[in-house]
Amino acid sequence: MSAPLPRRLAPGATLLLVVAVCFVATPQLSGGSLDLGVTILCYLAIAQAWNVLAGFAGQMSLGAAAFVATGGYTTALLMARASVSWIWALPCAALAAAALAALLSVPLLRLRGDYFAVGTLAISIATQALISNWQWAGGASGLTLPISEVPSGGRLFQLAVVVAAIGAAVTLYVRQSAFGLRLAAIRDNEPAAAGLGVAVFRHRLAALLLSSAITGLAGAVIAFQFIVVSPDGIASVNWSLNAVLMTVVGGAGTVFGPVLGVMVVYYGLTRELQDQQTFSEVIEGVLLIAIVRFTPQGAWPVLCSLARRLAGVRPVKPAERAGSATSTAEPSLEIV
Amino acid sequence: MNADVLVAGVLTGGLYALIGLGISLVFGVLGLMNLAHGEFVIGGAYLASVLVIGAGWDPLLVLPLAMLAMGLLAYPLQRFLLTPLLRGGKAAPLVATFGLSLLAQALFQGAFGIDPKALTASYADSGFSLFGIRVQTIYVIGFGLTVVLCAVTHVVLTRTRAGSAVRAASADPGTAAILGINVDRVYAFTLAGAAALAAAGGVVTGIAQSFSPTSGLPILLTGFAVMALGGIGSVSGVLAAGVVLGVLQSVSVALFGGGWRDVVVYLAFFLVLSLRPQGVFARKAAA
Repeated sequence: MSAPLPRRLAPGATLLLVVAVCFVATPQLSGGSLDLGVTILCYLAIAQAWNVLAGFAGQMSLGAAAFVATGGYTTALLMARASVSWIWALPCAALAAAALAALLSVPLLRLRGDYFAVGTLAISIATQALISNWQWAGGASGLTLPISEVPSGGRLFQLAVVVAAIGAAVTLYVRQSAFGLRLAAIRDNEPAAAGLGVAVFRHRLAALLLSSAITGLAGAVIAFQFIVVSPDGIASVNWSLNAVLMTVVGGAGTVFGPVLGVMVVYYGLTRELQDQQTFSEVIEGVLLIAIVRFTPQGAWPVLCSLARRLAGVRPVKPAERAGSATSTAEPSLEIV
Repeated sequence: MNADVLVAGVLTGGLYALIGLGISLVFGVLGLMNLAHGEFVIGGAYLASVLVIGAGWDPLLVLPLAMLAMGLLAYPLQRFLLTPLLRGGKAAPLVATFGLSLLAQALFQGAFGIDPKALTASYADSGFSLFGIRVQTIYVIGFGLTVVLCAVTHVVLTRTRAGSAVRAASADPGTAAILGINVDRVYAFTLAGAAALAAAGGVVTGIAQSFSPTSGLPILLTGFAVMALGGIGSVSGVLAAGVVLGVLQSVSVALFGGGWRDVVVYLAFFLVLSLRPQGVFARKAAA
């Protein structure tokens, strides 16, 4: 990349600063806002993971719930059945979700576009149905984590901050690296990318594994927060749906889109309209339709261009941007 | 394992084929994965429930009305929302149908409540004996209806002028438009037709089982499974796939118990999708 080193490090430094501020501020926060924070951060991590897979790599997944459930159930089973401490359960959750993704990648990555979306949807429903029938994991009524062993309050919040920060770091990496450029190339024109020497399968697999691991981590944190993991809770299709909704509303394929989307959807809709769930769902549906109809790129890019116009900055023409992107991309597109 | 189980599977499969037919039609002609198809089905059942539960009509009398109403609702949806989106890209229409599905679920919940409903009819639970095999009347009716609607769809697509226009728009929308076919209207009629088929499936489902605002998703997935198995745009393939799926499900329920009925469908769906994305019963690759 052509940007000077300090500028390339700035986003990472900002992220570290945000994490540090959250850690320092933790003791000041009340129990209620910590809990709310955990919820929002988990949504954020899942939305970012989805953004890596769908926004940057162009693989529309409707199966985030399968990986949330895998992470959550791995944690719950390890802690409740094998008395593993949460510190070890957490990386195991990420590994298990990635392992499931690796297992499914063989059939799944043969699918493109809409087929991929429906295939992932089928996986998430199949996972939910399998868990409901799995008596050792509690069947339909679910499994309770050993409550004294589970991190809670401030520690859980800090854990959620770290998980969301990992999601953000991966997003930043994908945004800035040659790896991300190659993913975007596959997304925009797969045959052309393959022709230029991009290893299509390996890159799609990498995006799927990264995204699933982060989703699995978020699933573990959700299990800590819920205490009880059940097919209707942690394996609910709603996780997949919210990931899509939040990212698309905020802006898929951008770094700040998911952050904005989570805030708008969760804080603006789900929470404010908690007492009128039907109404909130109506608004969510209409919002989703309106966004793809009128601003398909999401709210964040629109806000950015508005801000630029207000500041009197000449908007960057797409052609110029594309030109600069190719010139920076060329040296990094090695044969892989 | 006995003949009852197999026949019950075949008959249930007819209903699945009816649901899959609309999905297959829309994907074949428009290239659109309609994530709101399950809500079209449930919507048909809810629309029928207004007259059946409210006014005491017979569900099968209401069925054509429900089909018409769903068709009328779907036409503007395609014409003014989905067709413009289809020009934009692949993800937008998919997300839009997903938004429609959320919206429809919320509207069902607001208008009809979350309690499960059923369309009451004298033949809902009754059964009779056919060559010594016990069958449920409603599933026999449903199977007959599916065969009729599949035949009608096939004839319309292959023997009428409108059907030619649909096939032309499906094969090459650009050329079809140059030849004077109003592609936008063909698209809207296709979704309307699919919605009408969905409503028919919904009414039969509503008589045979109970339904609630969230029943759409499993129905949608069963429909996708049928499409994946049957191949896109093949009416006879869809019918065969529905029957295979129905038999598979009822055999696995008989062997492993009721909890596994959905697992089997989704796993079969996923296997077919990954091994033969063009469908088991399709001769030429459409994917």
